[in-house]
Amino acid sequence: MHTVRLTVNGRPVERPVAPRRSLADFLREDLRLTGTHVGCEHGVCGACTVLLNGESARACLVLAVQCDGAEVTTIEGLTPPDGLSPLQAAFRECGALQCGFCTPGMIVLAHELLRDHPAPTRDEIRAALAANLCMCTGYAAIVRAVELAAQRLAGAAPGEAGEGR
Amino acid sequence: MSWVGAPLPRKEDARLLAGRGCYVDDLTRPGLLHAALLRSPHAHARIVRLDTAAAEALPGVAAVLTGAEAARLARPLRPLIPVPGDVRDHCLAVDRARYVGEPVAAVAAVDRATAEDAVERIAVTWEPLPPVVDPEAACRPDAPLLYPELGTNVLWRDTLEYGDVAGAFARADGVLRERFAFHRYASTPLETFGCLAEYDAGTDRYTFWTNDQRPGLTLAVLAESLGVPVSRLRLIVPDVGGAFGNKRRPAYLLVCALLARKTGRPVKWIEDRRENLTALMHAAGGVIELELAYRRDGTVLGLRVRDLTDEGKNLQSPTQHNLIKLGTLVNGYRIGAVRYEPCAVLTTKCPSGANRGIGKPFMCFAIERAMTLLARRLGLDPAEVRLRNYVRPEEMPYTTPTGARYDSGDYPATLRAALARFDYARRRVEQARARAAGRRLGIGLATSVEPAGTNLAVYELVTGRRAASGSAEAAMVRIEPDGSVRAALGDPATGQGYETVVAQIVADELGLTPAEVDVAPGFDSATTPWLYLSGNYSNKFSVTDVGAVLGAARAVRDKLLRIAAYRLEAAPEDLELRDGAARVRGVPGRALPLRELARLAYADPLGLPPGETPGLEARHAYQNPLARPVDPARRVPSQLVFSNAAHVCLVEVDPGTGAVQVLDYVVVHDCGRELNPLIVEGMVRGATVHGIAAALLEEFRYDAAGQLLTATFLDYLKPTALDVPPITVGRLEHPSPVTPLGAKGVGEGGAIPAPAAIANAVEDALADLGVVVRELPLTPERVWRWVRGGA
Repeated sequence: MHTVRLTVNGRPVERPVAPRRSLADFLREDLRLTGTHVGCEHGVCGACTVLLNGESARACLVLAVQCDGAEVTTIEGLTPPDGLSPLQAAFRECGALQCGFCTPGMIVLAHELLRDHPAPTRDEIRAALAANLCMCTGYAAIVRAVELAAQRLAGAAPGEAGEGR
Repeated sequence: MSWVGAPLPRKEDARLLAGRGCYVDDLTRPGLLHAALLRSPHAHARIVRLDTAAAEALPGVAAVLTGAEAARLARPLRPLIPVPGDVRDHCLAVDRARYVGEPVAAVAAVDRATAEDAVERIAVTWEPLPPVVDPEAACRPDAPLLYPELGTNVLWRDTLEYGDVAGAFARADGVLRERFAFHRYASTPLETFGCLAEYDAGTDRYTFWTNDQRPGLTLAVLAESLGVPVSRLRLIVPDVGGAFGNKRRPAYLLVCALLARKTGRPVKWIEDRRENLTALMHAAGGVIELELAYRRDGTVLGLRVRDLTDEGKNLQSPTQHNLIKLGTLVNGYRIGAVRYEPCAVLTTKCPSGANRGIGKPFMCFAIERAMTLLARRLGLDPAEVRLRNYVRPEEMPYTTPTGARYDSGDYPATLRAALARFDYARRRVEQARARAAGRRLGIGLATSVEPAGTNLAVYELVTGRRAASGSAEAAMVRIEPDGSVRAALGDPATGQGYETVVAQIVADELGLTPAEVDVAPGFDSATTPWLYLSGNYSNKFSVTDVGAVLGAARAVRDKLLRIAAYRLEAAPEDLELRDGAARVRGVPGRALPLRELARLAYADPLGLPPGETPGLEARHAYQNPLARPVDPARRVPSQLVFSNAAHVCLVEVDPGTGAVQVLDYVVVHDCGRELNPLIVEGMVRGATVHGIAAALLEEFRYDAAGQLLTATFLDYLKPTALDVPPITVGRLEHPSPVTPLGAKGVGEGGAIPAPAAIANAVEDALADLGVVVRELPLTPERVWRWVRGGA
């Protein structure tokens, strides 16, 4: 066992972990942050997407011991204490989820996109979202939701444009 | 105003978007053990020796379960459709494995990693047997047998003849004969299958948490295998991360239950993706040989179909892919004479099973390919040959030769609407212009009927006796003592938004808003009303579930009105439920709020009308009245209600690489009254993308040794946001006269005609090369070979 110290959703965490423990299992089982889902465990589906030091990462392909000193943000950290973020609200309005299993990963991915590219084109959105799989929606509603969120965030006051942060 | 029909955003989304959904792998229990499975590396092999000592000795391992032990502890799994002969299907292979990935032993340990370490320490001596990979070869008398005791791999072969087939072929001006193959694929829900089982030795009771989508049947199977009455089983379905038909494998629940009993601790098993792709469930592949008898004007007089289903090692629901085609054999066409020769054969591959549209995508592929080839042969436009053959709206309800009853719809108008949206005439001009410029564009169209609500009586065609029948569901509506409202349904949603739609239906009946109706997520056999037929399958929500919810809501409404009428000294027919109160129509102020009526019903029953029982709760089971037994001519309404759709698409084929790009895709569909158009459109788009991906990307490909070559998402290609073409969705709305709210099935529809539409378009792009598309998927390699003349 190794002791890892990291920051998860803004809170310091210190835990012993086995070297082979994935970040996904660490978040889900050790910290009980079950919003991060595991869909393939080989880095293709993106259901386990989290922000690792601000960049999207597959939590199934990262070992928890690699995260010593890191800052991790999960869907729980992107969700306001009450209600939904503008991005989450846009997903709901557009019907951008069905079974909901890919949704946390999609939100994390879309959050990163809008943070770095506040006014993406439709093709940029499609290219960014192509990192993750959704088996239910056929993607059109997800793309529309990200467009809608981008428009709304652009209309918001500059200080609020960080969305969910 | 009515809540039904409103494009309401979903109630369940708030928790799912926040990562607060509760899926089976999110659950834990005190003392939980984790299971892992040892699976066969061989397609077909005898288990000579299986040594578990080293696995059992590993620290952290609580128990190992072998197939032989499981067969001693539990009875075989009762199949949904039993096959003739004494063959037993156990939850773990006992002495022989029959596909790569078949589970042969299980380990329960303190965590999954330890369990997997232990699995690696189980020593198996295998004696490889010859694999049976090709379904046609599997039918031959000299084929190696999966079950020597059966004497054959063929589970069902029959000839079903409806109408004057010989006469139709004798009168015909010509006969079109074609042979089409269909591949294996699956909708691969993003959440894999899983289960958590707990055993209470004190009361001899089992509790299961699972994403099994058909709890009614699963409870029956588990009770029988475990040898306990259903009354001592409890099955809970939490949020489900997609299912599409794949999530029903009681075998895994049984393994967890046996491990839980053996260890005295709860046991969880979550399928990993390789297990999912290798061993859960594939849509069956197969071969259809089809003959169309036609007149020179394009009228189709008769149809002969030989339909071979590659079942894999499917002893649970074999023949289902055949039977399910009965309702859609003639698609939407007026074909009066049909001969259907089904054959279901075992092979050493993953068991086939239900997958979005089950069997119908292949049937639609065969008939829609044939109609397109007929148009080409006769020099007709592919749209025209269809328009000449459709069942016309004035012929509704129309009974097909096999006994299916098309209840409503306007098939010609659906195709015309799709052609108009696609701008068909202009696109044909564009296509010719592009061809002159050296670009290969192709236009494809395919239309389909989409059945909903399987009548289980159809299984009698195979088994010769009726063990189950009908299409039904159960629901509950309860007003709590404080006036709040709760509803539950025996059909656990797997992404269809039932918490929202059920709330819309109940809100309309009780004069509330959907926000005021709490719908229980998932399923719990201890609290949810349910039937043997309960579950999330066969597109049945509109056909049965709506009736169950309405029945329960109306019983509660009637009771509320009786109580209110008594208290307000008015006639019940003068009352209405509106804005949370029972009100005397036209008399403002004469009203009783729901909260007061609930108080009376629960806390103050002396204030109720004489003879009225306390409480405000109703359960209702709804059986769709259209279900009928098989008749002496072997006709049967195998499915009950029919939606329809037309798909038209434009593709471009790159002759240099064989790559197919879908440039435009139009869907016009008619699922009757749309209960929630936002949800409906999502399902139509999602299903269409499934169908497109089946045509272009997805394939479970086996080698000659029976090894699955596409066992990860790196080889088994799912569409991403970049692979999906722009899709325009239009709709017609012909309400069904035979469902409680006029709604029809919608979940499967897009997946049915899409493979045919794409194939027709690719063939259209390559027609001058003599290419005929007889198989899928249309991978660049395959298309490139056709372009190079290797067809």
